[in-house]
Amino acid sequence: MDYIDPHIHMVSRTTDDYETLARMGCVAMSEPAFWAGFDRGSVDSFRDYFRQLTQFEPKRAAQFGIKHYTWLCINAKEAENVSLSREVIAMIPEFLTAPNVLGIGEIGLNKNTKNESTIFLEHVELAVKYQQQILIHTPHLEDKYQGTRMILDMLMHDTRVDRSRVLVDHVEEHTIEAVLENGFWAGMTLYPVTKCTPQRAADMIERYGPERLMANSAGDWGPSKPTAIPDLIMELKRRGHTREQIHRVVYENPRRFFAQSSNFRTHDLP
Amino acid sequence: MSTNPEPRSAEQILAEEFLLARSRVLDLAAFLDRLERAQGSTEHATQMQLLSQGLNILCDGEPEKARRVQLLMSREYDPAWRKNYGLH
Ligand SMILES: [Zn+2]
Repeated sequence: MDYIDPHIHMVSRTTDDYETLARMGCVAMSEPAFWAGFDRGSVDSFRDYFRQLTQFEPKRAAQFGIKHYTWLCINAKEAENVSLSREVIAMIPEFLTAPNVLGIGEIGLNKNTKNESTIFLEHVELAVKYQQQILIHTPHLEDKYQGTRMILDMLMHDTRVDRSRVLVDHVEEHTIEAVLENGFWAGMTLYPVTKCTPQRAADMIERYGPERLMANSAGDWGPSKPTAIPDLIMELKRRGHTREQIHRVVYENPRRFFAQSSNFRTHDLP
Repeated sequence: MSTNPEPRSAEQILAEEFLLARSRVLDLAAFLDRLERAQGSTEHATQMQLLSQGLNILCDGEPEKARRVQLLMSREYDPAWRKNYGLH
């Protein structure tokens, strides 16, 4: 089955992974800017990273017929450094017209600090100014509930934010409801140990329905599995979900969400 | 709203997933045995209290177990957080 992975960090993956994903049905993906596993020292380091995301990765993906999109920001972890964050935010507009950029992301919180919140709000300001969609990272483990509520609070406080153009990722059983019922899109991240299994994601699909809900693999430098979406497809098939229902979550929803970005071209996808 | 036209019955789910659940209970039991055999004590560790409260949720006969275990393991949200941080 053709599918789209709306959140996968391909800079951490090999070219063989692109090939495997293509064989498994992945036709498009979006790669939010995130933490590299170490703190970068300067704004130029981010400029090079954004060149990698907007120039190199789309070419690497295209070799296997996969359409590569991206989102730009300084991630929540490095946002603790406020002055560097402001330099990065000031530089982002240089890249907003690159043809594969869908918006600002993954912005969010990590340890739910004041600095992270300040930089989150400045990213939202940037997105509003340039009419960009937003992709949100919610914190992990014990910080997720508190951080997700803080993020929703900030977004809902700003009347200029169009909730139908915001995707809140890494939702789990205790955060999904607030995200969906307030009109945002929600993404479930299938990730070993610390996040969500295909079984629990299937439970949430059955519980909340497919409206504005999607799944992703994160596929980053941590112990992750880039082919996690095919695992979810298998689980849903096993439970008797129809092809159309599965397609809605793993293809139609991300396509509809991406299509709200000005750089998105419908004919890019099969 | 459900996306599943013919939801599996409870009997069917049990038949299909019993072995998986059984193995998870055993993993947990073996983990507790491992702690028991090891030197030192974790009796008063916060993590042990959380695990024990989590296990109680599994056995309390009430719904929304996954969500309640998640909330148990979560830091609380303070609606006055913006004011506390001096943000507007
Ligand atoms: Zn990510």
